[in-house]
Parts: sequence; C-alpha cells; structure tokens
Amino acid sequence: MTILDLKNVSIDFPTSAGVVHAVTNVSLSVGKGRRVGFIGESGSGKTTTALSAMRMLASPGFVAGGEIHLNSLPQSNLLKLGAEEMRRVRLSKISYIPQGAMNSLNPVMRVENQIWDGIVAHEGGVPQDELRRRSDAALASVGLDPKVVAPLYPHELSGGMKQRVCIAIGVCLNPDLIIADEPTSALDVITQRHVMQTLRDVQAKIGAGLILIGHDMGLMAQSVDEIAVLKKGELVEFGPVRQIIETPEHPYTKELISSVPQVGGASFLDPAPAAPARGDAADNGQPLLELRAVSKRYGSVTALHPMSFTLDGEVPKIISIVGQSGSGKSTMGSLMLGFNDPSSGAVLFKGRDINRQSADEALSFRKEVQAVFQDPYACFNPFYRVNHALKFPFERFGLSRNAAHTREAMEEACRAVGLAPETVLGRYPHQLSGGQRQRLIVARALMLSPKLLIADEPVSMVDASLRATILKNIHDLKDRHGISIIYITHDLATAYHVSDYVMVLHKGHVVEAGPPREVIGDPRHAYTQLLISSIPWPDLDRDWGSSDDARAALDRLEQLEGRPETILRGDIPGFTLSQG
Amino acid sequence: MARIPASYLTNRMITLVLTVLIAATLIWIIPRLSGLDPASAALGRMAAGGGSVANADQILAQLRETFGLDQPLLVQYLLYIKNTLTLDFGLSTASFPTPVSAMIANALPWTIGLMLISLVVTFIIGNLLGALMVWEHTPRLWKAAIPVAMVFTSVPPILSGLLLMYVFSTQLRWFPLSGPYGLNVEPGWTIDFAGSVLYHGFLPALSIVVVTFGFWALGMRGLMITVQGEDYTTLAKAKGLRPRYILYRYMIRNAILPQITAFALKIGMLVAGQVLVERIFAYPGMGKLLYDAILTQDYPVIQGVSFVIILMTALAVFLVDLIYPFIDPRIRHGG
Repeated sequence: MTILDLKNVSIDFPTSAGVVHAVTNVSLSVGKGRRVGFIGESGSGKTTTALSAMRMLASPGFVAGGEIHLNSLPQSNLLKLGAEEMRRVRLSKISYIPQGAMNSLNPVMRVENQIWDGIVAHEGGVPQDELRRRSDAALASVGLDPKVVAPLYPHELSGGMKQRVCIAIGVCLNPDLIIADEPTSALDVITQRHVMQTLRDVQAKIGAGLILIGHDMGLMAQSVDEIAVLKKGELVEFGPVRQIIETPEHPYTKELISSVPQVGGASFLDPAPAAPARGDAADNGQPLLELRAVSKRYGSVTALHPMSFTLDGEVPKIISIVGQSGSGKSTMGSLMLGFNDPSSGAVLFKGRDINRQSADEALSFRKEVQAVFQDPYACFNPFYRVNHALKFPFERFGLSRNAAHTREAMEEACRAVGLAPETVLGRYPHQLSGGQRQRLIVARALMLSPKLLIADEPVSMVDASLRATILKNIHDLKDRHGISIIYITHDLATAYHVSDYVMVLHKGHVVEAGPPREVIGDPRHAYTQLLISSIPWPDLDRDWGSSDDARAALDRLEQLEGRPETILRGDIPGFTLSQG
Repeated sequence: MARIPASYLTNRMITLVLTVLIAATLIWIIPRLSGLDPASAALGRMAAGGGSVANADQILAQLRETFGLDQPLLVQYLLYIKNTLTLDFGLSTASFPTPVSAMIANALPWTIGLMLISLVVTFIIGNLLGALMVWEHTPRLWKAAIPVAMVFTSVPPILSGLLLMYVFSTQLRWFPLSGPYGLNVEPGWTIDFAGSVLYHGFLPALSIVVVTFGFWALGMRGLMITVQGEDYTTLAKAKGLRPRYILYRYMIRNAILPQITAFALKIGMLVAGQVLVERIFAYPGMGKLLYDAILTQDYPVIQGVSFVIILMTALAVFLVDLIYPFIDPRIRHGG
C-alpha cells in the first residue's frame, strides 16, 4: 500500500536564459508508514521534487510533466486539485517540516497559537480548551513540556526546541505523509540525534509516510527504510537502505557514501605525499602562538575558563578545537585573531601580546595570521569581482611587484586549491558555488604566505562531497606550505582525520585533549563519548540509540556542569596544554 | 508580557527631558547668533507704518524692557527656559501683544486634525498597497495599477493641491476652495460645524495623502519582500493557512514593525505641517503660522513653533519606546 506515487514527474523553471529542467522523469513511491530518504547535493532537485507534492514550488517553477498521486484522497491526482482543495490537503494530509529551524516560526506569535492556527484553518471553529488540549498533546509528543513551552515566543527557544515545535505542528493533524527538509542541518550532533529520533517516533506512532530530505548519508542510514539518490534532477538510484549503503551501484552513490568521514577506518583524505615541509625556525626561540591563562567573560557568563597552551611553529601542525555551539570554541578563535580582548591572561604571537602591538606589528600580525570562516557567502563583497578579494590584501601588504605578478600569484593560489583560474577569476561571488567560494577564501589566505591559519567551521556549510576537497586543501597548507592551522569544528569525524592534536571544549572547559586517535578513537570523558556516539554514520548495524537514550544523554550533559579537570591523553612534540 | 519596569521608565523620562532641554537651548542660541535686534526690527516696522517715529530712543528702550532684552544673557536664558517649560513663549513681535502660546493653541488643533488624519490614512493606505504589491494573491489589475499610482509620489504637494483645487473646487465645485470651515457656521461643538470642518479639510488632506502614500508603500514593499522569503511564511503556507490570514498575521504583522518607528518620527514632524499645503488652502494651522512668522521675523513665534515640534517628536519617540515591546516580543524593556 503506497501513500504517495510520483509518476514521471518533471519540473521546469523558465528563466530569461532558457528553461532549466530542475527535475526530469522521477518516478517513485512512498509506502504507508515507510521512511524514504531523498539524498543529493544542493541543486540535485531533492527539495524541489518533495515540494511538488505540496504544490509549493518556488516561482516560476512548475510541474511540466507526470502525475503526483496522494492515495488517501478520493481524487488522488494532486495536480488536478484547485487552489482551495490543495490548501486543505496541506498539513491535514501532507505536512512539511522546514529546514531553517531558526526562522521557521512566526517571531511575533506564541508557540501554541502557531499550532492552533493550523488546526483552525482546517477544522474551523474549535473550542478554546479543545485547541489547548490538542496543542499540549502535540508538544508533549515531541518531548516538550506544554506548560513551559506553549506560551513562549520562538526567540525564547533553543534551535532544537524550535525544530521540535515544527515537528509538533507537522503531526498535530495526523497527516498521511510528512516531508522533512533537512530538519536537523542547523543542529549539533547531540541535538540532531534527539530531534531525529523524536521525529521517527511520532511518525511511527501516527503511521504516516516520511520523506526525509538530506545530504548526509550517515544520517540517512540511521533514519530511513529506503533511499532515493538524486543527481542533477534525475533519480539515479532507488532502493532499500541496506542495498544502497552496502551494495551501491551508481558511482555517484558510492561517492556520497565515501564522502562521509568516519571515525577510524581508512583516511578519508588521500594521504598526501608529505613533502616534509618545515615552518620557520621560530623567531628568537619564541613559540608561534601562546595563550597564557586566557579567559573570556561576557557579563556574568564565562565563555572560556582560564587555559594556556603553547604552539611552536617549527613543524607545522593542525590543532582541532571541537565542541557544540556555545562551548566557547569560536570565542577561542576570535581571541586568537585578536578580534576580542581576553578578560584575563594574554594571547602571544611570536612572543608579542597581540592586544598590545604597535600599528606596524599589528599589520604584520594580520598578514601572518589568516582566517577562514564558516559562511563562504558572507565573506565576499557582492559588488566586487572575486579578484578584488584576492588582490586587495596581497597589494595592501606590499607583496605585489606589479599587476602581472599579482595575476600570477592569484592563478597559482587558485591552482593550489584545485580551482581552474580561468573559470573563477573575473566572476562575481554569486556566480560561484559555495564550495568554489570557500576554496577561494583558502586561496586568498594562501597568497599571503601566513604562518598560522585559523579555520572556524570551514566546511559546515558546503556539500558533503566537497568537504573532503576543502579539508584536503587545508591539509595541504600544512604539508606543502608549512602553515600551522587551528581547526575549529563541531564535526569530530573530520577532526579525527585532519588533526595532529584535538581539544574537546564543553562550556568553556577543555574536557579532553590529546592526539585524535586517543581522544576521538577511544574517548574517556563522558562528554566526548556522548558526542561520538551521536554521530550518524553509514553503518546499518550500529545502534544509534532510542530517543529516550538521547534524552537521557542530554540530561547527563546537564549534570556535567563545572568539571574543571582535563583528561589529557598524551602529548605531541611542539604543543603543550594546561588548564588554568 | 511584563509590565514596564520603573527603572526603564525613569531612564527614558530623563532622556526625554534632556532632549527637550538641549533642543530648547539650541533654539534660544541660534537666533541670537544672527546679530539682528528684534527691538530695532519692531521699531522699523512702526516707522514703516507711521512714516516716522518720535522719541525713537525712548521707544527702543521701552521695547527692550518689554522683551526683557536689557537683562544679562544668563538671566534671559534662565527666564527663557522657565517660560518655555511652562509653555509661555512670550508675546509675538509681529502681532504684538498677542501671546505666542495663544497663537499656537489656536493653530495646533487645526494642524493636528488635518495632519494626523492624513498621516493615519496615508499610513494605512500606503502600507496596504505596498503589501499588495508583493502578495502573490493580489489581483493582476491591482498589481499593475499600484506602481502607476506611485507616479503621484513624485509630485510636490503644492502642485497636487492646486490640481485638486482646480478640478474639485473650481470646475466641479464639489468642495470649497479654502478656509477651515464655512462662513455660514459658528465655531462650536455642533454637528453642523464638525461637518463643515470635515468638508473643508477633505481636499487639503487628500492632496497630502495622494503624494505621500508612496513613501509608505515603497518601504512596505521592500519589507514584505524580505518577509515573503522568510521560512515562517513558507511554513505558514505549508500549514494550509488561508492566504488572507497569512497576509495579515504572518506577513504584514512582521513587515509593519519598522514602519511603526517611522510613523512615530513622522508624528513629530507633522506639527510643522505641510507648510505650503496649509498656505494654498488658507488653512490656519502651524504650517501657516510658521510661514507667516518667518516672513515677519517673528522670533518668539518661530521659537515657540520649533519647540512644539521638538516636544512632539521627543514625546512620539518616547511613546514608541514604551509600546514597542508590546508589539514585538523580541524587544524587552531594559534588558
């Protein structure tokens, strides 16, 4: 018994530059109570295909061919419904859980009102106490306490809570089909596991079909029954999850699976032919970067408790700082970049306090310490061609001999990060993909031959298949160009593969630190263990736990409050760490 | 929604009083920098009226004493502040010896009536049209017509006023040409008088609405486009809510917030009136008062009007600060 059938669906977007065929000839079915994953990179048509079942394609897209049947309707062909009939189908028959958990709720309406208006739109006048009873039940079903959450406004909720409110809205009318569009992409792994399991539980309880849209093969493996792999608008492979994961046929599916970094196993970076690069012998014996009892407080909140470390630059290293949002990892990054003054202690670069430098010293510090940030969209001025972003610092720091030399340096940097100069230079940022932009940011940093690169979540916003490439670029900076790197991330699996040393941060404390094989491969601290067990990876025989486990884990996390001692798991030469 | 904390209220009140004090001081200083002597100016007008003036020196001294100009500057200033805060702006020099406060008290209701009504009407029409320019369910005809109507926004109000006068007063004779009310009614709280005031106020108000609604419409259009792209609008649609409900409760409700701040600032400014509109319709409001005062160098009136404008702006901003947390839960008092 199938609930949704797509038959030869094609979707076109007429644009001034011609018709874009976003989806071509996709046929698949979702069984009652079954979970189907739509996987593919951005632009693969996975969201477009799913939204066509809600008849909510972004203008000017339209279904150019095929049929979409929702079998619980007397007149099952959705494309034949009038606008008002279609409106009645939404939420009551097909519900949608959107991607942007942060922004999916109306900021000026209380949570309960946003459940009520959905009920009222489909059932007309429902008595107030009946509405309240049903919204309370919906909130309770996703593990939220209705007494606390119902009267709150969205800005008073955390990201995970907001996403669970969206799930509560999605299930409050017991739909036949739920479409969840990357419901956890903005959440950290621990919250992701909790939200995902809540979604699975309520979906199973009401017996609805589920379409889960995503790009993470690991998450799919832990969450769905069948997988549909989409590439450039075409369905390249569709089958039971075990068959897709264990015996993928299409090369693209294999690529998606292998692009998921796993803890342990083969290196997911091609082992670089490590030309033994050496950094400068440190200036007059001073370490490259030193934190002396640095702490940071914002008002009464301590973002970072006092900690010290010394990184010498003799042999370049990648030091990873991992933790959830709010762990203090980005605060550390901005302290090391001198964007923030520490509340106590000092940050020293080559023996100089970076917050007490002369203008000349500050300028040379800016050249030698470069940064790569999370959002490759926000890092370019949209009004300039990308050349400007590459050229400007190069010329500003007086590295350019003449225009031809600048050009040569730009092209060389592009090639070093695997971009063909002729395809990217001279274009505007919006004409490039996220992955191209992020690689250009790395190229820009490389042009200045820095000594230290601070990379804050450099791959969290690019497609999984590109992550490996960009991390490889960053890894090459160390091996080929002798640059030391501070890699700040929430993703332990990538940290496992790229880094020489890992620090796990929790609520401003370093809870565990050491070489990645020890810290991530065999975690000792409860928090590190929780983080690692929450990572979804494409292994069907692995137990990802139930939502009760996930909630229990979150509770345990709360009780870890204020444990100052660090579990040290071994040292590497040239780096020392201490708390306090 | 919590009540307004006392500390926040005190804080805002102090800011309000300081703003008004500083502004009042500036109003006092600036005319004195011009070096003109109001007493001589008054004497000059007397001379121009009577051909010549006997005992000019004595009259000059008399005038200076009347205006308090013989006092030391500090005394003049303190006296001025005391008077200003009690809304006593002295006597008009041009219409001597009418008190300025009486002139303002006469003019202010006319302006507030005309301007507040036209501002509120403009705000509603402009924002609604701006929202309709973006809404996906707006009828095509409307979507085509609204941008055309925007052409009026580039017309100065004085021209639109003259055009409306020509069409509706001179040609069609639907509305009176000028004045705040008909000569056949006695001012007072009667239905006849109120009707006459509305009838006479219609054209001036319309001439302002026609040329200013575009300001609100264009601002609203930009805000609506942003809101339309927000995830909560997408989710509202996916929840199967009715299109009108989405328009009012999700889209306009969020897009209107910055417009409300702009509205408060406009309330302050509207006291100055549409000077030229009041002028051509011979409407006895603040705009006309200010216009006449500038022509006759009537400093006390200019100062009085300026002070009222500042007071209204500061009060409007103060009020918006107080009510904003009630319309946007993300903003908190104090905090």
